[in-house]
Amino acid sequence: MVEQRDPAVKLDRGFWIVTAVLAVLSICGIIFWYAVPLQHWLPESAQPADQVDALFAFMAATSTALFVFVCGYILYFSIAFRARSTDAPDAIGVQIHDNHKLEFWWALIPALFVILLSVLSVKIWWGIQIAQPNNGMVLEAIGHQWFYTFRYPNVKGEVPDEMHLALGVPVTLHVTSSDVIHSFWVPTMRLKADMVPGLINTIRFTPSAVGTYKIICTEFCGTQHGEMNKQTVVIQSKADFDKWYQATQAAHANMSDALATVSTGAINLAGGDAAAGQQLFSQKCSACHAVGPFSQRIVGPGLKGVLDDPAHPNLVDGDKATPADVAKILQNGFKGDLGVMPNQAQNGLSDKDIANLVAYLASLK
Amino acid sequence: MTVAAVHGGGIADHIHPEPQSFIRRYIFSIDHKIIGIQYIITGFVFLVLSGMLAELIRVQLMHANGGLVSNDTYNEIYSVHGSAMVWLVIIPLVTGGFGNFVMPLQIGARDVAFPWLNMLSFWMFPVAGLMLFSSFLIGAPVAGWTEYPPMSLQAGPGTSMWCAAIFLIGVSSTLTGINFLVTILKMRAPGMTFTRMPLFVWAQLATAPLSMVATTALAAALAALFIERQFGVPFYDPTKGGSPILWQHMFWFYSHPAVYIMILPAFGIISEVLPTFSRKPIFGYKMIAFSSVAIALAGFMVWAHHMFTSGLAPFLQLPFMILTFVIGVPTGIKIFSWMATLWGGKIHFTSSMLFAIGFLALFTFGGITGILLAAVPFDFHVHGTYFVVAHFHYVLVGGSLMGIFAGTYYWFPKMTGRLMNEFWGRLHFWLFFIGFNGTFLPMHWLGILGMPRRVPVYDPQFQGWNQFESIMSFVMTLGILIFFANLLVSIRNGKKGGANPWNARTLEWQIPSPPHYYNFKNIPAVYALPYDFSEPLPYTGLENELTDSPAPATAGAH
Repeated sequence: MVEQRDPAVKLDRGFWIVTAVLAVLSICGIIFWYAVPLQHWLPESAQPADQVDALFAFMAATSTALFVFVCGYILYFSIAFRARSTDAPDAIGVQIHDNHKLEFWWALIPALFVILLSVLSVKIWWGIQIAQPNNGMVLEAIGHQWFYTFRYPNVKGEVPDEMHLALGVPVTLHVTSSDVIHSFWVPTMRLKADMVPGLINTIRFTPSAVGTYKIICTEFCGTQHGEMNKQTVVIQSKADFDKWYQATQAAHANMSDALATVSTGAINLAGGDAAAGQQLFSQKCSACHAVGPFSQRIVGPGLKGVLDDPAHPNLVDGDKATPADVAKILQNGFKGDLGVMPNQAQNGLSDKDIANLVAYLASLK
Repeated sequence: MTVAAVHGGGIADHIHPEPQSFIRRYIFSIDHKIIGIQYIITGFVFLVLSGMLAELIRVQLMHANGGLVSNDTYNEIYSVHGSAMVWLVIIPLVTGGFGNFVMPLQIGARDVAFPWLNMLSFWMFPVAGLMLFSSFLIGAPVAGWTEYPPMSLQAGPGTSMWCAAIFLIGVSSTLTGINFLVTILKMRAPGMTFTRMPLFVWAQLATAPLSMVATTALAAALAALFIERQFGVPFYDPTKGGSPILWQHMFWFYSHPAVYIMILPAFGIISEVLPTFSRKPIFGYKMIAFSSVAIALAGFMVWAHHMFTSGLAPFLQLPFMILTFVIGVPTGIKIFSWMATLWGGKIHFTSSMLFAIGFLALFTFGGITGILLAAVPFDFHVHGTYFVVAHFHYVLVGGSLMGIFAGTYYWFPKMTGRLMNEFWGRLHFWLFFIGFNGTFLPMHWLGILGMPRRVPVYDPQFQGWNQFESIMSFVMTLGILIFFANLLVSIRNGKKGGANPWNARTLEWQIPSPPHYYNFKNIPAVYALPYDFSEPLPYTGLENELTDSPAPATAGAH
């Protein structure tokens, strides 16, 4: 190929005026991202959140400057160098091919920027992944279709609904799942970990602001993935947390001993308490089962009249359903065409819980 | 490379007579031009179908409580929408479609290296598409285009159909990759050295190995998922000793390079359109060409940046983060070179050029949010949210699809001999550009503020912006409808364009529109890059192309 000698490039005054305007716009953008940081729109509730926000501010500010220059020049060149009606139809542009000095700089500057961004990101990554205190309270969060449960040291079984944390006490949170992949995201903490069955992922943080904050599932996990955003993290003062912790500990000590006594034989259904069963139903069953006719399906069928209504197909052994059949399903779980009903252990039900639930279901007529 | 090496062996001038029957000419054709157009038509049909699915998504999200369809139906809709847009629209259009039609013409070849294989590749595509869409009849996949197990193990039988369909389109894509690679390496016209190839050809050259190598990883992952679903061999189910993370690694080992399969050819289209309508050589030809190759290579080393939250060993996050940042450098070089191509030009704002310039802005934006997502600490916050949805729609719609529109307006006259209507083309651009930004820009802050992706219902605090997005998506759709109307009307009634309506300089514009069956009466010789508007065309041997002299003699059937 014949090397072409390009005509000398001379940038006119318009170019420098536009460059100055774009520089001013960029500086405005940079000021904006630092004057109105992310926490202005989304409060922070845990310690590494401020570092994430600092990284975001840096990236948003530099990106804004870059984007303003790219788009500004594109717009300016498009206007300044448009073909005009006075041009000859075969008019051509300035025949330049290359400018090695320019190309060197616009490769070097992004490369230097990548190094800077890498250093900054690694530093903040270190603060989140490595430098978090290791001596905190160790908790577990477990994802289920479609709710979270939590385990605390010396608290029997799993705590439903809210995850209580103490202000300023570092937390090591292990997350996992009992069924499919879920994710544990608290936007105000800027932290997320996928809950993968068979795997334990860990995040560490220190709660930094009293309040109630949403936990949101961000990995698709089935029919009601979109509704898996109702539970909250409750950050309390140390004194309030201790009060809650002791009360929960006591309540759970007297309550079910689910994991310890998962049964294999027939369950004794005598003395089932329908009222206790109703409360359990709302915690453990209502995500998938409605209290309505068989045809009213969420994931599993509606359970009204499960023992009496002929609309319900025969359950386990082909005969009319009996309380013992229902108890067997609660004990062993069930695989339906839309999803899997967890078994006794996965649901955290004691034998007594099952007896209560069967009593409650039998009362639905 | 010597002239003999390119020209020798009787590859280029082994002439068969043109088939005369309708079926051999237009249905089971082995002509790369017909196959390219078949890809484009089929791809556009699937664009309409999965675009309709997209509008169902937007209508459902008009209200925080949903209400249009059930949760499960919604999950099926977005899963098929994503799968179809990636595998049935963008990839086939940019490789099988424009690659097939344009690339052999641009290198001065009579066809691709393996025309029968090319026909086979094409016919797998509509079959795979029908399989994917027919999965709606038996319960379509629900776990998104990524189909992470264990969710995808539990879903209805359509997920197995999805595996088979994607496997088939993957085979098609692999074969096209092999075909294009051999074509570009072995069938360039004499004198067309690597540094004289048009940039669209460079883009296809960088893409072909990606299709060949990466797609095999996807095929393995899909086969394992299919076998586990149908025969219970536990590759992925953790309760039986499998690993759900294994799927993620294999899937992304394909799907990250697939991002470049989708965008590199669009880069190529932009690199052709910008110099033609700026009446200027492309700025930094070598840097643009080599950065395509650099991006393709680096694209193999960043897949786990999709998995920062899924349990990657913490120290493994760092190399994936930094390598992803590094990809920003060659990408930046491209953007700056395109920008500099505009400087000092005589810019003609055809519809094609508008889309190319719009591409520059939107792709830059999508590229920047990609850098943000690569930063592990920020990814912990926005992974799995609408921020990600916004990012990849800027890259794939604002990038690839805008490139496809630019390419369609640009090469339509070569395919049909007629021009598309410029007024409706410009209207298409403005509706599409405004509607697109209105639809996807707010998703960035929705994601940052707490809206997860793949949800049929959502927090009511986000309802206002979602309604705005849905309305803007109708504007975008209106633009696309205008495009298709323009396309259909112009095929019959468009203004005649002649051989070279744009005064473009690559080889395909030096022959009649549409080109003859064997493209060139004589294979031309190439002396320089095509982009020097002040120089005479750098080709010899084209003197008879636009005259009535006879087509090349045929060797007869054998």
